[in-house]
Amino acid sequence: MNQKNNLVIGAIIAIVVVMSYDVGVDPIAFVEGLPNLGIVLKEMTEFESEHWGTAFWAMLETIEMAFIGTILGVVISLPISIFAARNISNKYVYGPLRALLAATRTFPSILWAILFVIVVGLGPFAGILAITLYTIGFISKLQYESIEAIDYDPVEATTAIGLSKIQLIRYVIIPESAPHLLSQILYMFDYNVRQTSILGIVGAGGIGFYIINYIKFFEYGKAAVFMLVVLVTVLAIDWASVKIRDRYIMKAQHGQQVKPMKN
Amino acid sequence: MRNVSASYDSKNLILKNVSMNVKRGTNYAIVGASGSGKSTLLKLMNGMMIPSSGVVLYNYQKPDLKNKEYKKSIAKIGYIPQTLGLVKNTSVLENVLIGALPRLSNFKSFFKMFPKEEIEKAHEVLDLVGLDTKSNRKVHMLSGGEKRRVAIARALMQKPDVLLADEIVSELDSVTAREVMDVIKDAQKKFKLTAIMIHHDMTLALEYANRVAVIQEGDKILEIGVDGDQIIDFQTGNLTQEEILEMYNEPEK
Repeated sequence: MNQKNNLVIGAIIAIVVVMSYDVGVDPIAFVEGLPNLGIVLKEMTEFESEHWGTAFWAMLETIEMAFIGTILGVVISLPISIFAARNISNKYVYGPLRALLAATRTFPSILWAILFVIVVGLGPFAGILAITLYTIGFISKLQYESIEAIDYDPVEATTAIGLSKIQLIRYVIIPESAPHLLSQILYMFDYNVRQTSILGIVGAGGIGFYIINYIKFFEYGKAAVFMLVVLVTVLAIDWASVKIRDRYIMKAQHGQQVKPMKN
Repeated sequence: MRNVSASYDSKNLILKNVSMNVKRGTNYAIVGASGSGKSTLLKLMNGMMIPSSGVVLYNYQKPDLKNKEYKKSIAKIGYIPQTLGLVKNTSVLENVLIGALPRLSNFKSFFKMFPKEEIEKAHEVLDLVGLDTKSNRKVHMLSGGEKRRVAIARALMQKPDVLLADEIVSELDSVTAREVMDVIKDAQKKFKLTAIMIHHDMTLALEYANRVAVIQEGDKILEIGVDGDQIIDFQTGNLTQEEILEMYNEPEK
């Protein structure tokens, strides 16, 4: 550790302290307020078991919304990503398209949900639209990046055969960039389920509607039931996507399952 | 090909004033050290590169990929680059069918609507290269020799008049290399192809070609004629394989 490093670390600490003071970080309030957390946690353990059914159906609605939004978003992203890839498209096409995609990613889906609630009214449909839009922004970016990273040899070889651009995209570029798509979809679905769980806060459907309402009226026992269902679902989806990845992606690409590394 | 020069960056010429002439039906081999301009020569022949001076003529046409008229002719030139350029994540059959795409409309090819005779043709060439039983296998699961067979099948699927191959066997062991070369030899006989192949190894070139061109530093081409056991070096008049190998072969790595 030399003097320069110490200076940098000292400077960063100073900046954090100054900024904390500026935004009003108050450690005393945190310590004084800790007993409140205890009360909330204690109330949360008093499950009101008659709500399990409602929670289950609300979670199902959330998963349905996330699923529809993910699939719609992915389907729309595929053609967009081809037009946004620098190695295929014209710069007057990919430039604006990329800016537009970046814009959709700038705001979290909950902001889009507010917008769509204004457009189509309260309910799951607004949430689906928000999830779809966000998925388009995200998957398109991941896909055009993987299209740009494809192996150039097959492109060169097939161009020399005399393939048209459409044939090139269909037979070389899509197959070469597709292997990552399944894992991207899984990741996106996982992410969308968590996002959809809070969209209810702005009235765009899903389980979040119940959670926010019960918390507002201090009914922590009821809210806890719903939160627990979200937790279990997210864990289950995470587990399932690991299984799917192992089964279809790892095996397809390497002909074997993931093994722990041995030293 | 007359007085051809070519370069990648308009400063350093890779080929300087090179002339050569390949007759229809010849089995032509090009041998030369790394960086002597062998691959450039092939790219000039199928129009992936345009000569900076001089003329390349193929069937009285100037090869140029950007020329729309020429695109019809290029479909008839089977080209196998050194990297093979196979699509790794699709099946063997689909890779071979790529060779048929120039004959298909954009609409039909987009929905993979291949006519029945094209699929039969694909199985026929796969049978010829000895891979028909593996037609549904993904390409990345194949061995090096098998991948080369797929590339050959794809080139044959183009129904080519000419087959250009860039060091197709140089990374293989000598047994597999000869197997692959035999496949090409059979195909050549069957479809009456003109083959222009780049070799790293003079021994293989003398064994399979009936004319060998040696490029030296991009500016000289020396030709050797081969007819069965008769080998004639047109420049020095040397007649035996040993003498020629001694003259031209690079020391093995």
